[in-house]
Amino acid sequence: MEKISVTIDGRTFEAEKDRCVLDVAHENGIYIPSLCYNSEVTSSGGSCRVCLVEAHQGGRMRLVTSCNYPVRKGLEVKTDTPLVRRIRRGVLELLMARVPDSEVILEMAAAEGLTEPRFRKDEGESERYKCIACALCTNVCAEVVGVHAIAMTERGADKKPATPYHKPSEVCIGCGACAYACPTGAITLKERDGVRRIWGRDFEMVRCSVCGTPYIPVAQVDWIVSRTGKDRSFFDKCPDHR
Amino acid sequence: MTDVTKDATQFDRIIERYEKTEESLLAILQDFQREFHYVPEEGIRRLSEVMEVPASKIYAMGTFYKALSLTPRGRHTIKVCTGTACHLKGAPQILETLERELKVKRNGTTEDGEFTLECVNCVGACAMAPVTIVDEKYHGQTRPSKIMDMVKKQVGS
Amino acid sequence: MAAINSVEQLEAYRRELASAAKPDLPTVLVCFGTGCQANGAIPVAEAFMDMVKEQGLQLNVNIGFKTTGCHGYCENGPLVALRPQDILYLKVKPEDVPEIVEETVKGGRVVERLVYRDKVTDEVVPRYSEIPFYKHQLRIALRHIGTIDPTSIDDYILAGGYAGLAKALAMQPDDIITEVERSGLRGRGGGGFPAGTKWRSCVAVESDVRYVMCNGDEGDPGAFMDRSIMEGDPHAVIEGMIIGAFALGSHQGYIYVRDEYPLAVKNLTAALEAAREKGFLGENILGSGFSFDIKISRGGGAFVCGESSALMRSVGGDVGEPRAKYIRSVERGLYDKPTVLNNVETWANVPEIILKGAEWYASMGTEGSKGTKVFSLVGKVNNTGLVEVPMGISIRELVENIGGGVLGGKKFKAVQTGGPSGGCIPERLADLPIDFDSLTEAGSMMGSGGIIVMDEETCMVDVAKYFIGFLVEESCGKCTPCRDGLPRMLDLLTEITEGRGGEEHVAMLEELCDLLTWGALCGLGTSAANPVLSTIKYFRDEYDAHIRDKKCPAGVCKALITYSIDPEACTGCRLCAKNCPQECISGERKKPHTIDTARCIRCGVCKDVCAYDAVRIS
Repeated sequence: MEKISVTIDGRTFEAEKDRCVLDVAHENGIYIPSLCYNSEVTSSGGSCRVCLVEAHQGGRMRLVTSCNYPVRKGLEVKTDTPLVRRIRRGVLELLMARVPDSEVILEMAAAEGLTEPRFRKDEGESERYKCIACALCTNVCAEVVGVHAIAMTERGADKKPATPYHKPSEVCIGCGACAYACPTGAITLKERDGVRRIWGRDFEMVRCSVCGTPYIPVAQVDWIVSRTGKDRSFFDKCPDHR
Repeated sequence: MTDVTKDATQFDRIIERYEKTEESLLAILQDFQREFHYVPEEGIRRLSEVMEVPASKIYAMGTFYKALSLTPRGRHTIKVCTGTACHLKGAPQILETLERELKVKRNGTTEDGEFTLECVNCVGACAMAPVTIVDEKYHGQTRPSKIMDMVKKQVGS
Repeated sequence: MAAINSVEQLEAYRRELASAAKPDLPTVLVCFGTGCQANGAIPVAEAFMDMVKEQGLQLNVNIGFKTTGCHGYCENGPLVALRPQDILYLKVKPEDVPEIVEETVKGGRVVERLVYRDKVTDEVVPRYSEIPFYKHQLRIALRHIGTIDPTSIDDYILAGGYAGLAKALAMQPDDIITEVERSGLRGRGGGGFPAGTKWRSCVAVESDVRYVMCNGDEGDPGAFMDRSIMEGDPHAVIEGMIIGAFALGSHQGYIYVRDEYPLAVKNLTAALEAAREKGFLGENILGSGFSFDIKISRGGGAFVCGESSALMRSVGGDVGEPRAKYIRSVERGLYDKPTVLNNVETWANVPEIILKGAEWYASMGTEGSKGTKVFSLVGKVNNTGLVEVPMGISIRELVENIGGGVLGGKKFKAVQTGGPSGGCIPERLADLPIDFDSLTEAGSMMGSGGIIVMDEETCMVDVAKYFIGFLVEESCGKCTPCRDGLPRMLDLLTEITEGRGGEEHVAMLEELCDLLTWGALCGLGTSAANPVLSTIKYFRDEYDAHIRDKKCPAGVCKALITYSIDPEACTGCRLCAKNCPQECISGERKKPHTIDTARCIRCGVCKDVCAYDAVRIS
């Protein structure tokens, strides 16, 4: 891989060409807030706009999302300028108005000195009211898990992740990766009596033969077995007792 | 309107006309829309099966594109052009009159299933503003006081 | 007829067509554009065809009677042009046909009641080329529109079509790009990026596959030049794309047409078929060894799909969400391959540039914006329609000389250009030359060329609200500033138009504009501020009137106006009372009526039906 040098906040680092600014910054101890990006998911990012930074290149300055802006030779990044802070603050104020009950957003906004949005707050039903429509869940489901149970539906302010027709998905394996990935905890995953409920569908769980804890949906085991050819008996025990 | 049954062949007849690539998806969905006046759920499920494309993706397209409707539409569609020229020349009054007279909101269908009222962003016939399209027929220089008679005259009710 | 296999065969074929054509014989051309068809062109055409059959008129079989594309003067449709007399008849009805045949086709006389009559001087202008609306025009992109039958490839060839392609195929691909660069042609879709530069950076990228694409997703409300070209001269677009593909070494092209244009899809599809049959598309084009074909992709009713990365995703069969353009589409476009996407009008210019040369094209227009531009002149103007003029014409010339001034002698207030990404330019800046750079400087943009004329009865706050409302519906919802910022802007503007706005509303609007401009993902969001900022900048007094005085000076915003009847003008005809849906107009026959303002819903029906202009808005 070609290495180039990039300057972030006055410090110069060696980095692989075309890696994203955010990853390079984080690896070098420079914090840039972000929500919709996960470095393990290549299709993620670019949506929430919290990670905007100034990119100076070729005599030109642009405000770019650091999560998908590639580092190239001669790039100079500034993560903490009045412009960056002003726009980030604006983005967070909009998110606060959209999801007034999200602790993550409130915390991030508080760091920018915001306590209350000036705009009309959205009121919504349980799941919608923490969702910032960032698409990380659907990206994880499609790219990492590979089942495509959910997708981003509708457009504009109504944009939201959903299964087709909001019905229990036939292809969902109940793995819960979407819920784990969600930056604002907007996806409800409930477990009770060995049954997991997510996206309106119930999944029977496999219980560990040692501790008896339900730990993985049967449907997920089926999926892994069919995909990898792994022996089913491997899943008799939970990771702690293997 | 065609009765939509679970019979897959009526969807297959449309799907077969196209290459089996994702490029064909939108065109097939539009053909469904034309044939059934909406995109039936069975159609999306069948398309997903035949094309081997996740149903979630096709459903997302169905919700994204305005030309597609996931719920059955009325026997007649009235589209009020809300392009800029039409807006300046009185499209809002046309829309309000139709909403009031048909007792339906934009994008809604009348209780008797006769009319669906839609707005469209400029049909490129600005010189005839304000424009209203009933089914496929364009009407120019429409006026609030005349619009209902015009609609009734065309559909013959 | 078999495929044409060489440039020589093409020229021979053209000569053959020319010798069969009889240019002196009377020819009737009926406009079959969307507008004229809506106004009843089909029965008119049928009436002519019946007459031809019945009377066995000596009309030229090949081009004696034909239907054409949109002349761009749709307001006065159905339009019928007559050759060789060069007469244009307006608003023709089927019952006028026998008279036209008798008087004009046979007798060579003008039917005066059907010709253009100047609204100001009342002068009768029978000659097509002398009508003020057409007189000032210089048609390049629209060169064939209204004179050829778009469904006939022979008509296009006879008019000189595919000669640009023939010339290009004998050139070095690199020289074609140089020619386009030197012509100064800038993209007609909105941004105005130099077409040649785009092509040059695309060939610079190493790749075995490249795509050329045509953006026919004309989404700006109030603009319809691309519809007219796709409907009226589809081969011009196709020829341009073949030339581009040859220059770029591409073998597959796509035309993305918006769903709202069914006739454009139909005519393009037929034109592609005809071009394939004749050998202009497919393998070994005109014996050159070069192969290329084009597919049509129909849009699905989403404005954002006019944005290049969203368009490419839509073509690939997905929702039309844009992606960050940190890597340009000339490097990684459709299917991640180098792609040149130009708009309809840009492609339609290419064959003429190749044929007549870069110098010829660059001799027109201004320093920074060469050539001509097609505008759709609409709104509160006397002559509405499509106008092609050299770049650099002033707004005033366009509105007053070509457009014939503002409708009903009202006061010219502003023009809006650039659709939802553009802004409003006030009358006091109307001497501004129209080119890419000066419009941007004034806080608007060229966009695809929609020029919407506004008069004193247009409320500028309402206009800003209209565009933001448009964008709220069309935002794809991917990025926060656009998805959540636009609805907040709409809230603020709605409150202002309802008399609930305060000084802080304007400040907050400006803040949100700043946020969208810097923070949004794609062009839809980053330019969304223009309609708001330009109206605040030039029409602050109207915002203030809504906010401080709770008044809408233009009489548009419903919450701030009242309807009344002028007792002087009212004749007591009862028409308004009969039509009032609220039944809130009362008065005796032949005596002035009154409106019960408490029950009035301000629907405007009374004003619409009143024959004496007695209904007042204050």
